[in-house]
Amino acid sequence: MIPLDYFVVLGAVLFCIGIFGVLTRRNVIGVLISIELILNAANINLVAFNRYLGTPDGLGQIFAIFVIAIAAIASVVGLVLIIAIYRNGKSVFLDHFNLMKW
Amino acid sequence: MAEITFFFIALCVCVFALLSVLSRDVFHCAVWLALTLLSVAGVYFYLDAEFLGVVQVLVYVGGIITLFVFAIKLTAKIGDKSIVQVNEQTLAAAIVTAVLFYLLFKVIAVHPWVSGPGSAAVVSLKDIGNSLLTGYVLPFEFISLILLAAMVGAIVIGKVKK
Repeated sequence: MIPLDYFVVLGAVLFCIGIFGVLTRRNVIGVLISIELILNAANINLVAFNRYLGTPDGLGQIFAIFVIAIAAIASVVGLVLIIAIYRNGKSVFLDHFNLMKW
Repeated sequence: MAEITFFFIALCVCVFALLSVLSRDVFHCAVWLALTLLSVAGVYFYLDAEFLGVVQVLVYVGGIITLFVFAIKLTAKIGDKSIVQVNEQTLAAAIVTAVLFYLLFKVIAVHPWVSGPGSAAVVSLKDIGNSLLTGYVLPFEFISLILLAAMVGAIVIGKVKK
């Protein structure tokens, strides 16, 4: 079977791709997509550690389920906020979001 | 054979993730994200976490991607080719990300990982169900409470004010 560190490296690659997306995107929806990538990188690590070092109650997988639920909540609230801001300001670009700046 | 499968899935994850970060049209980004999430579900199946793979396909590819597509289509004009989709810090971000990955890779390479086959037993669906409703029932219920709060909050925020 594949050694554990391959999965950890795969998680690191996915995490770095997500970080790059968060840093470079102007579009808020693009930033949310990149955040989903980061959460998936964390999930890959959780499941791999659970498979190799885990306890019989499957704590790693349960954590991954919670992370998926939190990711769903985050994207729901984020997308609703984007639509609400778009309705007011007609823009989805982060550099136009200055409505909390006085 | 197992190695080839793993490297194929890992290549799919990385290529699709890169495409979803780099492509210009946001709608294409959402489609590439769907393929990335399917590949990650493949990683879960490879790690004998069948339940998690099915949850990934149902919740992410079935639910979240649909939400993203709706949001992209509701906020019009953003698929327009003439609009710049990246900010002016692309080069700096690339350097920061490369340094970050180098550091992470060094740490992973130095650490003595357990080698050999997965020593822990495969967690069956029955074990997960038992744990969720006995030992981890409090966080499980708490997640449902947060979901309810998010649902109500989304309706309140998204409502058109008269």
